[in-house]
Amino acid sequence: MKLQAEHVFQVSRDVLWQVLHDQTRMADWIPGCDKLEEIGPDRFAATMKIGVGAIKGTYKGTVQVTEKQEPSQYTLAVEGNAAPGFVRGKALMKLQVEDGNATRLVIDADVQVGGLIASVGQRFVSGIAKQLTRELLANIEQSLKPETTA
Amino acid sequence: MSKRMPISVTVNGETREEYVQPRKLLVDFLREDLHLTGTHVGCEHGICGSCTVLMNDEAVRSCLMFAVQANGAELRTVEGLSKHGKLHPLQEAFQEQYGLQCGFCTPGFLMTACDLLEHGQDYTEDEIRVALSGNLCRCTGYQSIVESVQVAAEKMRKG
Amino acid sequence: MKPVSFDYFAPTTVNEAVALLEEHGEDAKILAGGQSLVPMMNFRLVRPTCLVDINQIKDLAYIHEKDDRLHIGAITRHRDLETSTLVQQCNGLLLEGVQLIGHTAIRTRGTVGGSIIHADPTAELPAILAALDGEVRLIGPNGQRTISWRDLFVTFFTTVIEPVEICDEVIIPRLPSDAGWAFEEFTRRHGDFAVAGVAAVIVTDNNDRCTDARLAITGTAPTPIRATQAELFLVGKSLTQTTLDEAGRLVSTEVEPESDVHATADYRKHLAGALTTRALQRAVARCHSRKDQQEK
Repeated sequence: MKLQAEHVFQVSRDVLWQVLHDQTRMADWIPGCDKLEEIGPDRFAATMKIGVGAIKGTYKGTVQVTEKQEPSQYTLAVEGNAAPGFVRGKALMKLQVEDGNATRLVIDADVQVGGLIASVGQRFVSGIAKQLTRELLANIEQSLKPETTA
Repeated sequence: MSKRMPISVTVNGETREEYVQPRKLLVDFLREDLHLTGTHVGCEHGICGSCTVLMNDEAVRSCLMFAVQANGAELRTVEGLSKHGKLHPLQEAFQEQYGLQCGFCTPGFLMTACDLLEHGQDYTEDEIRVALSGNLCRCTGYQSIVESVQVAAEKMRKG
Repeated sequence: MKPVSFDYFAPTTVNEAVALLEEHGEDAKILAGGQSLVPMMNFRLVRPTCLVDINQIKDLAYIHEKDDRLHIGAITRHRDLETSTLVQQCNGLLLEGVQLIGHTAIRTRGTVGGSIIHADPTAELPAILAALDGEVRLIGPNGQRTISWRDLFVTFFTTVIEPVEICDEVIIPRLPSDAGWAFEEFTRRHGDFAVAGVAAVIVTDNNDRCTDARLAITGTAPTPIRATQAELFLVGKSLTQTTLDEAGRLVSTEVEPESDVHATADYRKHLAGALTTRALQRAVARCHSRKDQQEK
């Protein structure tokens, strides 16, 4: 399933890049992220609580940052397993300079959902995917607050 | 494993006192504990209607209820339709009008139709089709089922 | 498959139920009609370790009218709404919507409170709540709060209800006595989840001009929405076919649905518009026939 989203953040591209790659703050903006632990260079073990309504699962998996082309783009690979199923996604994160010291973040993701939720919970899948994208952008906005007010 | 809980249900006029795990679905209780295998398990998520039984004279999907929830209730299954060896008008009609082939969906249709006809017998064909739309059949193509219900309605109207 | 094991409680009062939720926290799930929850439990998509069955709280099954509002207890069955003379007399929109919920057997068990709190984005009752500006009452250990529909629905399958709260009442204002109404929805087979649905309410004055219009849409967003642009457009106008067509066109531009396995976004936009026009046509016809009856 393809997911696309974009948002303009009121910070410079360098600042956005720094915040997105700041390992001490990643747990703040990754949706539902409870725990984030570095297990290798640019590789993290994560626990994420994802879902809507009654369909909530605690996904244990990995987050990997690759193909870094500072400061304009990089790839985020996420993989997680939980009782309702598994999620595997690769997102190309592009940072584009905008007027007025702002940056547009363009997310182009390919997500595979499998297991129980994909076979019998199709009605929930697109909802959860949209919800995750919204949460992601809102969380990044929130974690940029110290930078935007500065 | 959870503790079994006591329940008392009246099924086809007979009161039964049993012990069940809370997770036991009503349809499985009927089939496994009471050996009333006329009610069938089709989809386990409330779509096909083959698990339909009457609870307090109203149709319910027994795969969407836990047996513990039926405590104190009056249940009727397909086994309870015929009385003293005589077929219920619905059963007669289904037989006469070829309203079944493999018979898997039939108990569900009979109980749904029973609910319908016990609450009135004057329905248009459209109203009957709508009332039966929650029961799926893979064999008949539905026409003969609708006709069976129409014939049964006529029989029940005459009393 | 069969559900995973759980502890089962069947409280007989609201206070008992709330106390159980407090004790078991997020592991507990309320069991009302079960027509949405049990399928998910059968698939093991949902695995509560504790089920609080509220069907024994007999105090929560009622329908009565007070100050032009219908007060409906949370475990009132859809089927009871269908057969209630009170509902038939004073809220034709609610009646029409409820009859579209699933099938008879589902309506025998499904509850009004359960359906609204489950907040399925394609459900009928949330749209009716939106069309009539209804409210729900939630009760928790810290007391009760009454929430308007706008503040209740957050997104797909999510409301503001806390894990320790239960919904005990749904409040739906009476339809104005000279209003026309209609509920139109499109499903692939009768009783399926709606691809889109529209609840319409129209009030006209003696010159046949619209004085009030409500259009609530289901299936095109994560929550029920009101098509405010189209509503504002209709007020003050003569309700000719051209006007109704334009209202439909406005709705189809206003809604922003997503594509999914059941329909593309474009199709849903088109559907919302077409259903709006149809619903308005029937609502206007009802309005006229009510006026005719009153004149007699």
